[in-house]
Order: sequence, then C-alpha cells, then structure tokens
Amino acid sequence: MRYVPFTKPSSLLANSIALVLVAAFIFSLTIFGKQWEASFNPSYEISTSLSELPLYTAFSALRGLIAFLFSLVFTLTVGYWAAKSAKAEKIILPLLDVMQSIPVLGFLPGVVLALVALFPKTNVGIELASIFMIFTGQVWNMTFAFYSSLKSVPTDLKESAAMMKLSARQRLRVLELPFSAMNLTWNSVMSMAGGWFFLTVCEAFTLGNQTYRLPGLGAYMAVAMEAGETKAIIAGILSMTFIIIFYDLILWRPALGWAHSFRLEDTQNHKVEQPLMQLLIKESFVLKIVRFLYYRYHKKATIEPRSMEESPKEKSRKEIWGWMRPFAKYFIFALYALVLVGACYMSLRLFEVLATLHLVEWFEIFRDTGFTFLRVIIAVILGTLWATPVAIWIAQSPQRLQVAQPLVQLMASFPAPMLYPLAIAVFIFLKINFEFSSMLLMLLGVQWYILFNVLAGALRIPNELRLSMQLMGSSKWQQWRYLFLPSVLPSLVTGWVTAAGGAWNASIVSELVAYKGQTLKAHGLGALISEAAEQANFPKLAACLTVLVIFVVILNRTFWSKIYNLSQVRYRMDL
Amino acid sequence: MKKNILELREVSKTFVLESGKELKVLDQINIELREGETLALLGPSGSGKSTCLRIMCGLQDASEGQVLTRGETLDGINSDVSMVFQSFALFPWETIKRNIEISLLPLHLDSDTLKFRVKASIDMVGLEGFEEAYPRELSGGMKQRVGVARALAMERPVLFLDEPFSALDVLTADTLRDEIMNIFLSKKTKTHSMVVVTHNIQEAVIMSDRILVMGSNPGRIRAEFENRLPYPRIPETAPFTDLVSKIHGLITEAYIPDTMPILANLGERRVRQALAETLPDVHLIDVVGIIEAIDDEGGGVDVFALSSEIRKDFGHTLYLVKAAELLNLVETPKQQVILTKLGQSFAKADVNERKKMLHENFGELLIVKKTSDLLRENENVRIPISELKEKISEWLPNENPDKIADVLISWGRYAEYFGYNDNTKSVYLDVGQET
Repeated sequence: MRYVPFTKPSSLLANSIALVLVAAFIFSLTIFGKQWEASFNPSYEISTSLSELPLYTAFSALRGLIAFLFSLVFTLTVGYWAAKSAKAEKIILPLLDVMQSIPVLGFLPGVVLALVALFPKTNVGIELASIFMIFTGQVWNMTFAFYSSLKSVPTDLKESAAMMKLSARQRLRVLELPFSAMNLTWNSVMSMAGGWFFLTVCEAFTLGNQTYRLPGLGAYMAVAMEAGETKAIIAGILSMTFIIIFYDLILWRPALGWAHSFRLEDTQNHKVEQPLMQLLIKESFVLKIVRFLYYRYHKKATIEPRSMEESPKEKSRKEIWGWMRPFAKYFIFALYALVLVGACYMSLRLFEVLATLHLVEWFEIFRDTGFTFLRVIIAVILGTLWATPVAIWIAQSPQRLQVAQPLVQLMASFPAPMLYPLAIAVFIFLKINFEFSSMLLMLLGVQWYILFNVLAGALRIPNELRLSMQLMGSSKWQQWRYLFLPSVLPSLVTGWVTAAGGAWNASIVSELVAYKGQTLKAHGLGALISEAAEQANFPKLAACLTVLVIFVVILNRTFWSKIYNLSQVRYRMDL
Repeated sequence: MKKNILELREVSKTFVLESGKELKVLDQINIELREGETLALLGPSGSGKSTCLRIMCGLQDASEGQVLTRGETLDGINSDVSMVFQSFALFPWETIKRNIEISLLPLHLDSDTLKFRVKASIDMVGLEGFEEAYPRELSGGMKQRVGVARALAMERPVLFLDEPFSALDVLTADTLRDEIMNIFLSKKTKTHSMVVVTHNIQEAVIMSDRILVMGSNPGRIRAEFENRLPYPRIPETAPFTDLVSKIHGLITEAYIPDTMPILANLGERRVRQALAETLPDVHLIDVVGIIEAIDDEGGGVDVFALSSEIRKDFGHTLYLVKAAELLNLVETPKQQVILTKLGQSFAKADVNERKKMLHENFGELLIVKKTSDLLRENENVRIPISELKEKISEWLPNENPDKIADVLISWGRYAEYFGYNDNTKSVYLDVGQET
C-alpha cells in the first residue's frame, strides 16, 4: 500500500460515519463473544419477533465474514502451494474438485460431533461448526481462482522477477498478488454469495435426536418457515437483502475499485464508480492514521541498513537449510507416504461402511440419483430457455443494462432457499405436485448463473458485427441465429456447468422442505442425504455422498469438459 | 588476454513437443563473452537465439554441455546479468520509480543508496518527470527506457538485450539504440559487457564488437565476425556497408545456396536420405508479391535491394526468395534473384492462370507428392492431421512437424491442392469435394 499524504481536509461526515461503523462492529463483536462463552446450549430458542431480528442479522453477517476470512487464508496458502509445487498440485486439484461437489450436509455430522466434543461446556464448538459449514460454501471456488491466476502470470514478468532474484515473498508481494487481485476479488464476491446459500442449514439442523439452533438469520428463517409466519419470512428476506447490500457497499465495491488498479492493460472505458465506502476510506481521518502507522512500520522494515550482499541472517538460514536438505527430503517423502497410507485406510473404512448397506438401499440411492439428475437437467434447460433471450435483450441497450445489472447482481447473490417459503405458498395454491415443484425450487437458485454468464458473453459481442448485420438488412431471426446465439455459446456453457453444479448441491434443500408444520418431500438424492443426516444414519449418508461425488465428477470430466472445449474452439471470439 | 565472463561449452537444447517427439533447437553451441565486449547473436526467427540467451541467464537449463560464469558452473539464476525484454516486462500496477525500486529489493539497500541509484538510472535514460507515471501512460519507447533504467540500476556487469527494439517503430528504435550505445560507451555504468539478440543485421553491426550468426534447424553458430569499426558507427559509410554486405552474403549463401538449391543445406552425406523439402514459413500470397516486385525491377534484383524494396527484414525476404525458388519461379546466382521463364510468364499472367501455375509447380515438390500418395492410400483421400505430422517428422527429423504441416496446408489451400477441416482435424486432397 502506498502512503498518501494528508492533502485534503477530511470531512466531518465521513469521519463520523466511519467511527459509528467501527463502534458498531466492536459492539457486535463483544455480544458475539458473550454468545460464544455462554454455557452449552445447542438449541437456542429463536423468537420470531421482529425486535430480535437485527441482532440475529448481525450475528449471521459476522459468521459469514469470519468464514470468509478463513476462506481467504485457506485460499492464499493452499492455492499458492498447489500452484508452486507440481507434486502438491497433483493431489490438491482433484481433492478440491471432489470437495466442491460435496454438499454442505456431507461435512455436517463429522464436523459438528468433533467440535462439540472438543468444547463440551461452551457454544464455541457449535459456533465453529456453523462457521465451518459456511466456509465450505465459499472456499473451493476462491482457491481454484487464485490457483489459476498464479498459473497464468505472464512469462516475461516471471522471468523478469527471476532475473532480479526476488525472494518468494517479494515475488508474491510485487507480482503474484497484484496480478491475481482482480480475479480473486471477483471470485470472493461470488464465493460470499455461495456461503449465504445454505445459511438456513448452517444455523439450524438436526442430527439424530438432537436439534441444533444458533441465534442467527438462517435459524430465524428456518423457524419462521416451519411455523409459516409470512410476516417474519418477509422480514427475514429483507434482512438478508440488507446484509448483501451492506457488504456490497463496504466491502466489495471498494475492493473491486482497489483491484482494478492492478489491471494488466490500459482499459479506461471500464470506469469503476466511486461508491460511498471508497469515499469514506479516502476521506476519513481515522483510516489515514491507520495508513500512516502502517507506512511508518513498513518504512522502518525496509530502511534497516544492511549490507549489499546477502545478509548474514539469510546466509545462516541458507546454511541451515542446506544442512537439513537431505533430511527434509526424507521428511517430505514420509509425509506423502503418510497421506497415502491414511487415504488407503480411509477408503478401506469407507468400503466397510458401504458394505453394511442392503441391496434395496443401494437400489433406492441409484434410482433417486436418477430422479435428481432429471431435475437438474430440466432446471438447466428451463433456465436457459428464459435467461438466454433475456440476457441478450438486456445487453443490447446500455439503459436496460443500467437498470438490470444491480438487480441481477442482487438476485444472484441472494440465497434462494430463503425465498422457498414464498414459492411453496404459490405452488400449494396452484396445487402443483412437489415432485415437480422441487425442480422449480432448484431453478430458483441456479437460473442466475445462466443469466449472469450469458449477459457477460453478450456484452462482449463486437459492435461492428451487430452493425454489419443490420446493414445487410438481416432479419431479427437471422441476427439471433447467426450472431447472438453462437457468440454467447461459450459463456452459456460456463453458465450450464456452474448451474448444474449448483443444482446438485441445491437438491438437499429443495427436495426436503419443512413448511407450516408439514414436511414436503420429493424423491431424489438430495432428500435422501437430508434424511440420512437428520437421522444420523452415517452408512447411508456416506453411500449417498459417494454416489453423488462420483456421479458429479464423472459428469464434469467427460460430458461438460467436452462440450466446454468444443464451444471454446468453435465459437471463440477472435477477430 | 581478457577473461571470459560467461561461456557456453558444447551446449545443446532439446524440447519435447506435445506429440512426445523431441526437437533439437540448439546444437553444440560454443559462445565466449569476454569482459568489456559487446556480442551480437544474429539470426532469423526460430534459430534459437533467445533460447541461448535464456540458458546464459539461468532461466532455462541446457540439455547437454556446460554453462560457465567466470570459470565456474552456473547454478540457478546468473547474478552477473540483467536483462531488457522485447515486451518490456514492466509491472503495470506500479509507477516507474517503484518498477525500478522493485528490481533492487533483493539487495536490501539503505534508503539513501536506493534513492540515489533509482534517480541516477532515471536520469541516465532521460525519464525525469515520469517517476510517478504508470507504464500504461507511456509510449513504447518510454516503456523500454524504463526497462533499460531498471536493468542499469541493478549494476550487474553484463546486460542482455533480447530483441530490445523489435516492438518499437523504426524512428524510436534508432533513437533509443543510439542512446543506449552512448550510455554504454560513456563507461558511467558498472555494466561493461553486453549481449544483444537481434534479427536486424544493421543493428548488430551498430552495437557489437563481435557478431555470431546463427542458423536454424537445429540452431548452430554458422559464422563469427569481428567488428572493429570505430564508434559512433554511421550506417552510410563504406566500411559499415562492406561489413553488412559480407554478413548478407554469408546468410544468403546459407539460405539460398548456388549449388543444389533444394537439398544442399542438408550436407553432402545426407543428400541421399533427404526425403522432402523444408518449406519456409511464409504465405504464398507474399511470394506472389515478390515476383511482382522483381518484375517491376526488370526481372532481376539483388536480395539486399529486394529486402528494402518490399520493406521486409532480410531474414524474411530470404525465406520468400527460397519459397519462390522451390516453386521454380526464380533463380539465385550469387546474391541475385532473377525470374525464370516460368517466373516471367507468371508475372504477366492473370489470377486464374497464376493459380494454375502454382498448382502445377507445388505438385512437383517431393513433400507434396508424398503427402498426396499418403492421402490416396486412404479411401476418402482424407487423413487426420496428426498422421500427416507423424509422417513429416519421419521425412524431416530436424524440423518442427507442427510448423511444417501448417505451412504445407497454408500453401496447399492457396494452390488449391489440399484442404483442411479444423473441426474434424483432417487433411484432404482438394478434388472439389468440400468447397
């Protein structure tokens, strides 16, 4: 960070808003701390009264933020490791691929039981479990993004850094982090949305005969849904909207503005607005002090006079490493061996567990996987049918885009399960069979991926191509057939892949729903997983997850990757 | 005798292609860089100059042979060398000043020395006033000045310049080249030796004390020229043009030799084994262009003059001439390019007649005959491109089969001989089946 001298007087308003925000943050931290230290109470009594809602909202917002910080740490370490070590890469990448296809409920029993056992007297264990589950909704996508950014650092910059003999840390600071800033920030925005998706599950769940509830918006929504209190449901939806907009203003916009300064090319037509919070950061005296202190510390760290050659400290460190090198090699070898043995042992245990299942149960699992697969496909098709034309239509005029973009962005980051009660009310009124309408619930969550991606693709269509078709006098149909549809195809495929992945995950909340005292259930793998977790039926849960992971990974590796490559080669826009 | 600051001994480099085939890009290279001298590596694209440079930097490892710095085996990055890149390689998100500072980070300088060095190098290249600018605000010439300032600030004894002016326009390149030579000759810097990689003969003669001419497939050093012309070197003077044309002559002889025009460069011993011609990587439409240019000059011209006439660099012109020669359109006695009878009628013909002539002459090439036979063996006169590449690597073991296949298809399409479908990745004989 560069130091900006005190040039402008800081505005009173900016300072007071910043102070209020800081105070509110500290205050909510202390209450949150109290809740952590409170004696063990796994099932917090959630009240649906509106007066409790602000506190719940603050708690959930904080959990999301803490989970995000963990995600960031995980991303920076594991992503970096995978990009730097060819050996680690071979293990981490497939592992991440498997992890991201495991729905949140898959982690639930193990994590909850372990953490509750670790902290039997306080709520820390269960709070950590909840945060961990939110974390699993955020982290994989971010890690992938950071890894691929690191991998795509331009060769000449890499070579230049190598010639300067920058240390790994210096290289990270001056080259790799700046280069990946934009990608990482964009994916953080998306990941945060991914973390909210299962909030209702992460804060309120049943494991065997124990119900767990934490004070939070997700639990509030779960309770309101079960009771069918429309007023509370709508208030919850509004609170969630508030969280999203709040983070957008204070976190993502400034972060995106900051990341934009690390762009590679000269793209001035992409003007980033200066939103409220960035103004605050620039104007606020409080933050100037922070920056000033940082600069002082920072300067001190670099100014320390040292000899021109390698510092003695570094030299001795090198010597130590040189001495340890042969041992380090054995150590790493032993580590890999340990991981391998551990993995073998775990798979053996998994086999043992799976072997206890009856043939009938296996039949049920495979049949229901088929049902869910069908729902996923239909949801993706329906989503494509409406979202593609709408996205292309929006992209054609800047005015439409201006109106639609924030709306689409909000909808895409809003956790769809919180809208389920309203949708279900409509389905019940229309008397739609739940086997079918649970597919519509899925669609509610994943259609935005398609819309978002196609919109991005449609915005990249060169204006000259559109103008030339208009000059040729091509009909609307011809323009769609020969220009719009082919040019958005690669983005559409990306949309499909993300939507299908999301739909598989969403099945656990859309195939089994508690609403107004009754349980709505559709046949499907998601429902089986939810039930197995609720009944603490671990063998069945393990079986369902194994089938799901294998199915999704195989589908990704064969079907989707083939379509993706095809669309990239044939319909790439290079003029 | 002056000490060798850097030395390559019998260095070879082999890359593994995607198909798993090995391709030798450098063969038994010997280079000595003496203290205080400027060395130029001159050669057409694909001759392995940049690979050579990267091996000397320690950015790439040699497959065989030794890399020595001051007599010792190089391990890792070479700390004697700083480098100026063709693409500038600046950090786009940092100011000019920071860009230079970053290169000094590993030295742990105290702040006064740091400031002094940054300022001195900025002054040297004339970037005062641009300290707080970002690279994107600068023109190409100014960006490359930052690249030079950054390299000089590191105060390493050797400076490598990898095609430093290729991304700049001619005028900017001339100015910057003169400035760099002035800085270097003024001896104000701690940098006392230089290696410049270039495909421009004049540039090599202006900048260096010694010129190593490299040839391709695989990259070898073909010749060495001492250059004792006094500085500043002025391109219009007689000794300068003499040296330039001497180098021209050597390169011309290597690429379009008088004896056995097609197969001679394979060497006496290997003629019997020669199975196909190497196709130069040019477009046939440009070959048509030079035929017209030669016709405009009265049917015969010096390669040198031709190169400036068509405003292509010398290496590229040679490739075009070689292509024309393969198609029997020109002859090349000494450094002359003269239209053959066929070439003369080609120049006068209309588009359709020209296509017909090209079609016939292209069909005479060994590699085309072989490819046609290969296609006819197949029922649909169509084979996957991978199969063709496999065959090409048998016929021409020293060439990159991907590149040759690309050129073969590009010529074949223009001569209406072969077709290629990118969706099915297959080559077919153009008998009007897929038009």
